[in-house]
Amino acid sequence: MIEVSGLSKHFPLSREQKKEKGRKALSHKVTAVDNISFQCRPGRIFTLLGPNGAGKTTTLRLIAALLRPDSGSIRVAGYDTQKQAFEVRRRLGFLTGTTRLYERLTPLELVKYYADLYGMEKQRFEKRRDELFDLLDMHEFAGRRIAKLSGGMRQKVSIVRTIIHDPEVMVFDEPTVGLDVLTSQNIITLIRQCREEGKTIIFSTHIMGEVSLLSDDMAVIHEGKLLFNGSFDAFSANMRGKTLEAAFIDLLKEAA
Amino acid sequence: MKTTIVIFKKELLDSLRDRRTLFTMIVMPLLLFPLLISISSRMMLTQTRKAQEKILKVGLDTHGNAMDFRASLMSRKDMIVIEGIPLETARRRIRGDSLDAYLDFDPGFDDRVESLSRARITFYFKSKDREAIGKNRIRDELERYEHRLLENRFARLGLNMDIHRPLDIHEQNLASAKERLAEAVGGFLPYLFILFCFMGAMYPAIDLAAGEKERGTLETLLTTPAGRFQILTGKFGVVVLTGIGSAVISMLGLYLGIRQVSEIPPQLFTVIMSILEWRSILMLFTLLLPLTVFFAAILLSVSLFARSFKEAQSAISPMTIAVIIPAFIGLLPGMELNTVTALIPILNVSLSTRAIIAGSVSPLLMLEVYGSLILYAAVSLLLCTRIFSNEHIILRT
Repeated sequence: MIEVSGLSKHFPLSREQKKEKGRKALSHKVTAVDNISFQCRPGRIFTLLGPNGAGKTTTLRLIAALLRPDSGSIRVAGYDTQKQAFEVRRRLGFLTGTTRLYERLTPLELVKYYADLYGMEKQRFEKRRDELFDLLDMHEFAGRRIAKLSGGMRQKVSIVRTIIHDPEVMVFDEPTVGLDVLTSQNIITLIRQCREEGKTIIFSTHIMGEVSLLSDDMAVIHEGKLLFNGSFDAFSANMRGKTLEAAFIDLLKEAA
Repeated sequence: MKTTIVIFKKELLDSLRDRRTLFTMIVMPLLLFPLLISISSRMMLTQTRKAQEKILKVGLDTHGNAMDFRASLMSRKDMIVIEGIPLETARRRIRGDSLDAYLDFDPGFDDRVESLSRARITFYFKSKDREAIGKNRIRDELERYEHRLLENRFARLGLNMDIHRPLDIHEQNLASAKERLAEAVGGFLPYLFILFCFMGAMYPAIDLAAGEKERGTLETLLTTPAGRFQILTGKFGVVVLTGIGSAVISMLGLYLGIRQVSEIPPQLFTVIMSILEWRSILMLFTLLLPLTVFFAAILLSVSLFARSFKEAQSAISPMTIAVIIPAFIGLLPGMELNTVTALIPILNVSLSTRAIIAGSVSPLLMLEVYGSLILYAAVSLLLCTRIFSNEHIILRT
């Protein structure tokens, strides 16, 4: 379960932004997330939909206790991200589409490294590793350096790295960005499988196809504010015959 | 602690598989000294031998004077005496390297010698360092001739040669060979060790901070239960280890370099080996350790601040100059460890290493050096920790 309540986050203006705004800038801060609240329930996929720069990544980083909120609170699996960050991180799996891997390690070494960081016992780790390597057919390249693996193989390593400790909450930040169709399919399968296992899942995207394919619940975020928060069915019911893309654009236009 | 060790082990494995780190940490320090010593000593020996074996072409115009000198010069097998060359031609040929020297005697040379006056010989030559040996051969011949003339004059006047030299000065240098060597090479060795410490730590610092940020792996690492301080400590340990490792390997390189060159005089060899004794090495490393901690913290701070590997590289490369300058000042003659220089980082290590090699260390000054180095290391480490705790710096790319 993820419970986000009255969450806000501001960032100092970058040098470029300061130049752009000049002396007229009233504040030296930019609001990335502006007083948002939502809930992600176990066994359901929550999609955070928004254009680039909407505040999706910041929201997910706040959930993963990578950033500290300026106001509001987040509870992950019942733990406060500010006060109990260690407990939150133990129960969380985080995957982004842009993350690369340690290229000089082998998949075996990399997965072992993360298992050690999650404090997994040897027997539990070996059992889980073998299961996942079997499932994703990874044994053949498990001892090869990651630098020598194909994109698809690397993505499989990323998946195992994310779920090796069997987390109860999964955070996916645009996980399929820049991937080919086949590799993206691995991710889609993983997200669905996590739902079947009863995990709490939040994933951000700006790809409409993924929203309709995966979402149980969804929120539309734009300039840090939530424009919609509810079930995918409720969003679809309000589309009045429009495509998902058109409904999304209309929502952004209304907000402007 | 367990998490820090996990991170340390992984970062070390990762760094040791990086070719750039391997090159700056192991290959370069290990090979530099043997190559430097071997090539320079061989080149020096070859050049000296060449200059010694060279048959000099000497132009001579005595104007019919100094026949005994002429005969003595003619009898030498290492010189070809050429007479009858006009002065201008001789000067041109010397400049063009087809003649090594030209001796032009005054026309009234013998008369002046006979009347006990000063008689002039003009000695034309073109001297660069490597020709000095050839030039000296002719000068020696001239000095021997002058000595013979002086003996003749003293004999004619019935005087003892001792009149010419009233003082009998015996020089007794009480500085030990080690002290003399410390002055000559004592500054040079720490200069290289400091540089290797910095260079050895440089690439791992860039890769483990800016490199990880750029690849996005740092973000993933921060979502694990590993605390920021544990992550930083693990990375920091590797950067310090590679810096110190680089200095150790360069010392090993120095040892191998000295062992493999047979041309090093045995006395010098013994002195250098005494520098490499365990007590001196231990003292050197107690100095290098806080300095490397200081380097590692600064390098990691700059690297964490950078958005990419390239940005970190361009910010850190000029820092090499900031390391070289104080280390180089320590090479200058007359520079000594005192209460002020003991506070200047890098320079204090350079100067105290010189004092250690010479065996003239002042315990109070050493205490000041250690104190200042530990203080700098602590401050830079604190800065690094603060940067690593800043989410805007850590997550920006």
